[in-house]
Amino acid sequence: MLRATVVKQRGAFRLEVRLDTQPGTTAVVGESGAGKTTLLRLLAGLERPDAGRITLGDSVYFDAAAGVSLPAWERAIGFVAQDYALFPHLTVWANVAFGLRAQGLPRHTIRVQVGATLERLRLTGLTDRHPAALSGGQQQRVALARALVLEPSLLLLDEPLSALDLGTRQTIRGELRELLARLPCATVYVTHSPLEAMVFGDQIAVIEAGQLTQVGSREDLLRHPRSPYVATLLGINLFHGGIVDRDRQGIARVRTADGELAVADPGGSGEVFVAVSPREITLYLEPPTGSAQNVFHGPILELVPEPPAGERVRVALRTSPPLVAEVTKQAVEALGLHEGVWVYAGFKATGVTAYR
Amino acid sequence: MTGPRRLSALAWEAVAALATGALFLLLLLPLLGLLVRVAPGELLARLGTPLILSALRLSLYTSTLATLSVVALGLPTAYLLATKHFPGKRVLEVLIDLPMVLPPTVAGVGLLLAFGRAGLAGRALGTFGLSIPFTTLAVIIAQVFVASPFFVSAAVAGLREVESRYVDAAATLRAQPAFAFRHVLLPLALPSVLSGMVMTWARALGEFGATIMFAGNLTGRTQTLPLAVYMALETDLQAAVVLSVILLILSFTLLFALRFTPWRGRWRMRAAGDGR
Repeated sequence: MLRATVVKQRGAFRLEVRLDTQPGTTAVVGESGAGKTTLLRLLAGLERPDAGRITLGDSVYFDAAAGVSLPAWERAIGFVAQDYALFPHLTVWANVAFGLRAQGLPRHTIRVQVGATLERLRLTGLTDRHPAALSGGQQQRVALARALVLEPSLLLLDEPLSALDLGTRQTIRGELRELLARLPCATVYVTHSPLEAMVFGDQIAVIEAGQLTQVGSREDLLRHPRSPYVATLLGINLFHGGIVDRDRQGIARVRTADGELAVADPGGSGEVFVAVSPREITLYLEPPTGSAQNVFHGPILELVPEPPAGERVRVALRTSPPLVAEVTKQAVEALGLHEGVWVYAGFKATGVTAYR
Repeated sequence: MTGPRRLSALAWEAVAALATGALFLLLLLPLLGLLVRVAPGELLARLGTPLILSALRLSLYTSTLATLSVVALGLPTAYLLATKHFPGKRVLEVLIDLPMVLPPTVAGVGLLLAFGRAGLAGRALGTFGLSIPFTTLAVIIAQVFVASPFFVSAAVAGLREVESRYVDAAATLRAQPAFAFRHVLLPLALPSVLSGMVMTWARALGEFGATIMFAGNLTGRTQTLPLAVYMALETDLQAAVVLSVILLILSFTLLFALRFTPWRGRWRMRAAGDGR
């Protein structure tokens, strides 16, 4: 397994990441400029970390303290770049055979292995084509074949779907997922799309401004987001604050920077995260009289259909703290909601999860 | 659009067309002057005379060897200049380009002083009984000296143009730098490298100044086509014209081939992301 601690300073940007992979796919998700590609390049050996240590299984690839730094061509790491970087002057066959030839393997071995890999990736009919004569999805399969034929211990994928147009992306996403699931090696899958991270990642690492802010399973991330970025990705209201009061009914009050919330008491004391699903929030024009312990009053900032042109609408509110509610289209019409209208947002303390 | 503005635009076009016409005439007139003096039949007949034949043979031989030497030395140099950073790189680049602007006669004097009997390298070679000036080897060295910048600059530009993502891909596919150069960098830079070779060959073929200073003018040994033209001018004007026409045809063919070869821009295509 990969164990990496890397530090890389580039101007004002600093990447400082500790990443251990597990069997299966580790999705690294973050916005562009967060350091995703740099991280992959450091792991692959295309750039040299300022400090840290990279090991894969028993092999030490980089150790700043010991002065070890293996060049890229001596690492058992497959790397598929965002734009695939297929050699334009070589046929599909020669692209896939490239790495085996570079190692000087006997012709017969090369032919057998390339043939098997081409077959596995359904490229047998395209062997004599040049990359320019391939579709985006085919190019991606060639790039994968070219890396996989070398039987790497770790496969790095940099935004593998972003070079594809939207029409084919969905189909290829499914195919790629199946392929990765069957791979014997671990995969690090870099993406800016939270959806892709959820689909592909057995383990998900969130990268923000050069740092991993949360690493965990898909479920962990969904249930317990720990950074505003992850919360935004998931469309969840996330707050952070301290418990200031609690009653006998198991309800605690948490004070955040913007106001107080009533939550199901997580026990203990100190700082907690508070997550409120937008679907738990109900909107009213008059003050609600029901059992909602949390009621906030404020104007509507914007209304966004969710999913685009869907049956539900996300309503962003300028309450304190700021909230996003998700209601049905019918509710929007019945209440006559539009931007600037003042509403009451209510939700139960039991609909709120608090965790550390 | 107002009238005067349109007029001034037209005037600019007219000036450009006139200037182009004048330059074209200046270039074309001497060529026509040569071509009208020689009938195709005479050209073929004269081609067989010993003087012309030996000069032609020597020119082709020396310029080809010079080009191959330039490639052998220049390609690794271009690789270093295109991919590495090292102290003194700027100075080296200027030095490599220098022969392009240096008068060839100056180059010839320099070569003579370096390789002559009393020269820096000449004395060392002399102890082995070797003397380079006024030999065919001197012709080749003179040609290498004046023509190498054409190859190196073209090859450096070509290698630099190859996108780093291909070199990176090669490295992650277990290719050591030498293999990556041979199988990725060089093939992708081939159009520039080949045109650099053609330019170098053409320049070597036309070399005169440095050759006559350093190698002299010995028929069959150092008298290349340009030198033969110069000599013939004093004794047999028509022979000089024929030789000139041969050089003209060779040069034109080379440059024309360079413009219209199929290798031009062959790999300048988008490799990925077209998403067809």
